[in-house]
Amino acid sequence: MKKLINLTINDQHYEVAVEPNQTLVDLLRYQLGLTGTKKGCEMGDCGSCTVILDGKAVNSCLVLALQADGRSIQTIEGLETGEGLHPVQEAFVEKGAIQCGFCSSGMILSAKNLLDQKSNPSEIEIRRALAGNLCRCTGYQKIIEAVKSVPQAN
Amino acid sequence: MLLPKFDFHEPKTLNEACQILAAYGVKAKLIAGGTDLMVNMKKKILSPEQVISISRIGELKKLDTSGDSIRIGSCFTVADLSTSDAIQKHLSALGEGAKNLGTPLIRNLATIGGNLGSARPAADLPPALMAYGAQVVLNSLSGERTLSLDKFFLGPGFTAAKPDEILSEIQIPSLPPHSGAGYINIGIRKGQDCNLVNVASFIALDTDGTIRNARIVMGCVGPIPLRASSAEKMLIGQKPESALFARAGAAASLDSTPIDDFRGTAAYKRDMVGVLTRRTLDIAFREATHRQ
Amino acid sequence: MSEYTVINSRAVRVDTPDKATGKAVFIDDMTMPGMLYGALLQSPLAHARIVSIDTSKARNLPGVKSVVTAAEAGLVKYGVSPARYDETLFCHEKVRYVGDDIAAVAAVDMETALKAVSLIEVEYEELPAVFTIEEAMKAGAPVLHDNYPGNICAEVHSEFGNVEEALADCDLIKTTTFQNKRQDAAFIEPQGCIASYDLSGNLTLYSSTQVPHYVQRTVAMVLKLPVGKVRVVKPYVGAGFGIKASANPLELSACLLSMKTGKPVKMNYNREQVFQYGRARHQFTHTMTTGVKKDGTIMALKHLCYLDGGAYSSFGIATVYYAGSLLGGPYKLPNMKYDGYRIYNNKPACGAMRGHGGVAARACWEQQLDMIAEELKISPIELRLKNMMVAGDVTCNDLNMSSLGMKECIEAVKDGSEWTAKKGKLPKGKGIGMACGFFVSGAGYPIYRSDTFHGTVIVKLTEDGGTALVYTASAEIGQGSDTTFAMIAAEALGIRLEDVRLESGDTDFGVDLGAYSSRQTLMTGHAVKEAAEDARRQVLEVLAKELNVPVENMDIKNSLIEFKQGNVDFTGLRTRYSKEHRGWNDNPADGPLTFREASRIAYLSKGSIVGTGKYKPPELGGKYKGATVGTSPAYGCSAQIAEVTVDEETGQITVDRITDAHDCGLAINVTSVEGQMEGSVSMGLGEALFEEVKFDKKGHVINADLAEYKIPTMLDMPQIKTIIVESNEPNGPFGAKEVGEGAIMPTIPAILNAVYDAIGVRIHELPMTPERVYLAIQEAKKGKTG
Ligand SMILES: Cc1cc2nc3c(=O)[nH]c(=O)nc-3n(C[C@H](O)[C@H](O)[C@H](O)COP(=O)(O)OP(=O)(O)OC[C@H]3O[C@@H](n4cnc5c(N)ncnc54)[C@H](O)[C@@H]3O)c2cc1C
Ligand code: FES
Ligand code: FES
Repeated sequence: MKKLINLTINDQHYEVAVEPNQTLVDLLRYQLGLTGTKKGCEMGDCGSCTVILDGKAVNSCLVLALQADGRSIQTIEGLETGEGLHPVQEAFVEKGAIQCGFCSSGMILSAKNLLDQKSNPSEIEIRRALAGNLCRCTGYQKIIEAVKSVPQAN
Repeated sequence: MLLPKFDFHEPKTLNEACQILAAYGVKAKLIAGGTDLMVNMKKKILSPEQVISISRIGELKKLDTSGDSIRIGSCFTVADLSTSDAIQKHLSALGEGAKNLGTPLIRNLATIGGNLGSARPAADLPPALMAYGAQVVLNSLSGERTLSLDKFFLGPGFTAAKPDEILSEIQIPSLPPHSGAGYINIGIRKGQDCNLVNVASFIALDTDGTIRNARIVMGCVGPIPLRASSAEKMLIGQKPESALFARAGAAASLDSTPIDDFRGTAAYKRDMVGVLTRRTLDIAFREATHRQ
Repeated sequence: MSEYTVINSRAVRVDTPDKATGKAVFIDDMTMPGMLYGALLQSPLAHARIVSIDTSKARNLPGVKSVVTAAEAGLVKYGVSPARYDETLFCHEKVRYVGDDIAAVAAVDMETALKAVSLIEVEYEELPAVFTIEEAMKAGAPVLHDNYPGNICAEVHSEFGNVEEALADCDLIKTTTFQNKRQDAAFIEPQGCIASYDLSGNLTLYSSTQVPHYVQRTVAMVLKLPVGKVRVVKPYVGAGFGIKASANPLELSACLLSMKTGKPVKMNYNREQVFQYGRARHQFTHTMTTGVKKDGTIMALKHLCYLDGGAYSSFGIATVYYAGSLLGGPYKLPNMKYDGYRIYNNKPACGAMRGHGGVAARACWEQQLDMIAEELKISPIELRLKNMMVAGDVTCNDLNMSSLGMKECIEAVKDGSEWTAKKGKLPKGKGIGMACGFFVSGAGYPIYRSDTFHGTVIVKLTEDGGTALVYTASAEIGQGSDTTFAMIAAEALGIRLEDVRLESGDTDFGVDLGAYSSRQTLMTGHAVKEAAEDARRQVLEVLAKELNVPVENMDIKNSLIEFKQGNVDFTGLRTRYSKEHRGWNDNPADGPLTFREASRIAYLSKGSIVGTGKYKPPELGGKYKGATVGTSPAYGCSAQIAEVTVDEETGQITVDRITDAHDCGLAINVTSVEGQMEGSVSMGLGEALFEEVKFDKKGHVINADLAEYKIPTMLDMPQIKTIIVESNEPNGPFGAKEVGEGAIMPTIPAILNAVYDAIGVRIHELPMTPERVYLAIQEAKKGKTG
């Protein structure tokens, strides 16, 4: 039986009815049309479904929609501001860190989550923080360059 | 990947959770971080009729280092374990296990209780916890009991927790001076890997520098994490030095009972137990000489 | 400074802002009104006779709209090479691997579709199955396809020169056997599609494919529709690496179900099905015997290879040819003999994957060359420099090196890695190794025998002037081809990149064979250039007439018209343009004549300005049987140096650094070329160290997920230093040639050679897992002591 939940996605409030066995990624993609969050494996292995849940990057394929009740979620669609691309998005575009783009939403959110917690991360810190996001196209080289190039607050 | 159908409960207190669990018994499954349960449900290995989320129970999320034992709530996340200064200071081998568990995304969801509850022979946290002599606290409507982690695991996916019991807390006795521990896991690749072998070693030194106490725990080489008892015996009362650690490694190899599987042969795992035992003892000894 | 204004730069890709913001639409992001969901019934057995299929329960389930089996689909055979069409849409007499398709269902939602699939009752009579080459070739082994006795799917026997004679004259002869493992492409987006059949009998298929053109033809052939009624459209694709380079059962089933129901039907593979479908890199077992002179001159190669093919041919015939022919270069090799066999068995079919057919062969041979160099006491770099071909050379199997920057690549990695300071001077446990490779720049022939153009392109100028629309049926699958072609169009027309809009991946735009065999930059690139030049010529011809200036005295640059000789009065044209746009406040008022004005004037005089372009490779060398596989208008080449650390107690390898140089002729987009090089290295590193699809005794994939099938994570990848070498390929548009696949060739052997340098033990089997390396070290120790 469906249950009503309240959640905030990209600063917007939603009230939606969800089945207990519905995952967060399916809620976002198929019910709310937020298809920027991808599904590459549905088992927690690839990271293409990454969203930021209450400030933490997680695999949305392993979270039940009901578990998101009352929480705040940021998806790739919420990064752009009125001014344009988020600096992390900008860096990915500029540095050529995107090829097929299927991993990019998750990769960008993991990178943003890292930079929110730590400015000027070292290369190994970047590699550790993004190790849950698989990319088969880029060899990661330009992704690391992109993350390093994001202008930092200080 | 559709999940099987189930009813969902989200109690706010441990007591409420115990009540729901008591009502449904074996038909229910607890979900903490969900990183193990969700995968098992998607693969249709588990199809519980009731899923009880304990991730919003505040009392299960604490980390308390004030008393004479360190107490970690079962819903304390692996990410928090891996970044906690207190863990790094007191329980570095556990911190090392946490840093090597899954991926950053998984660690943000995964909990210490779930890691024990999943009872995977390759899990990253049990070896260090057992090496530190941890106990688990199990709660049910009929009360609370504590159990040594040594007695908690029964087999892959099976624990000594009864169907109506919730693991609420992990208690680790405060470490004696001149004690230390080390943890190493190896897999095929460096990121996100299921372990081939993982070993944690703990030693405590006497004032004269001899080894007073030793615990070595080996993962992936038996149905549950195993103590390397003959290696431990060999160490006690001896002066720590590399030749001794190498012999202890060889003994631990013999204590292990690995099987061939698609990840690796028993022979390789056995040899790696030896290497990792020696290396973790080195780390433990180094830490022990520094810890006052 | 580049002589070009648009190409040969680091222009930002046209598709990446959308991909960075989640706006780019991939197949599973699409929905259509009234859309149904399809699911497949796939065989649980590896080899079995189908006794009966009962779909009645499934059909009666509420919400089910159609159930189709071979009875509905018909038995038209299809596959990749017409010479080996050995698949039908659904199995009718027997199933040949776990996952073979038996039926498909369309229902109102996924849950109902899956439920219906579970209600289809199939009675099987299990047959003995074979899972290895040895089992499949044994006398009396069960046969998968009646017309292929001995389970030999294809065999190749070729000899160029006289190998036995040459070997008799050699000073050193070395034989080694090498084996890789079945790989999976592990692209992050699983295959998916939506088919939509309308009331006028038109079928549109949206699919995650690399080859809209081949899919269109296969769908039309199998479902007996006129090609003109079938349109295939490719949204953004989450990469393919070869596996999405042919029509798959999902696409065919979705089309059939849509035709049956009159509704759009969506179908997806889950990750397990991606592995089960397979079609990725074969397991190759190579035995090579190389003969050289004392001074290191390579004289002859005798080569035997077995391919573990799986249940169907897929690309396999091309694969077995490539495995031999791609050793013709990049070294001078006067005598080469090859015997190759591709064997059927009851596992999923293997097919084409990045570096098609050549990767394991290259690894085997480049390691062997290092062994030879060591015995002859010649440095590995010297040996390669001594033997490499140069532009103008033709291989013994008639491959023409119209450009070849092999020497530049070798020297670039040698300097870039500080090889001289490191080689032979590293502590034990650390090693450095090098290898080279080369690859085709597009298959010289289409997969089906045909005189077709390989690419046709239309460039249409917007009637209001100023923007060039490029229509190409080529496939952007992540490699950056849309940007490359937009850049080529802009350069050839003389306009700015932002004045080009490109649409691709739709069979309505023309013919393009698609993204495989590293063909698009060269082949589609030619067609784009020709179409853009055609449009440019038409604009300039109108201007010439209007202004009375010869075409040769005009040029277009940066979207402006340049007059080479003196002032030309174009105020009349400018006034006309402004009149056409009364009330607009951005009409050009002063300064040079703009392309915007010029193309509007051209339209006013001629109607829509449409330039067309096409490409077909010229007559290529080689008249022997199989010469079509390996011939190409051009060849890319590369060299890599790997540096590794080996933990000798555990066998764990850490790749510390890769230095990679690739000759891509001319880099249209520098960043994209580097991206292909870096991506190739990671795929090669994965194959070298981790990747292997494993099966249980019943033919099920054991590790059908991205947890147990291990591709490199960010923690496994080293820093990659990329160096682009530009040799200016005469047969390429603006001198450009391939980088997409050739770049993977040297990675595995460079790592193999580095590991040997670190531990002094040769490893001849992939992947180099810790256990395999550890065992090799133990074996070597035993050999020394015992
Ligand atoms: C991609 C991926 C990678 C992984 N890598 C690793 C790894 O490297 N190392 C590793 O050790 N694990 C790994 N895991 C497994 C898993 O993430 C960990 O075991 C994690 O700690 C489980 O915690 P959880 O809170 O998510 O467990 P859950 O899935 O919520 O629960 C796991 C089990 O424990 C039971 N349970 C949970 N909490 C309690 C409780 N308080 N009392 C009683 N029973 C309870 C549940 O009913 C369930 O059966 C990985 C998983 C994934 C998906
Ligand atoms: S889809 Fe969630 S991790 Fe792959
Ligand atoms: S860009 Fe294709 S998977 Fe990362």
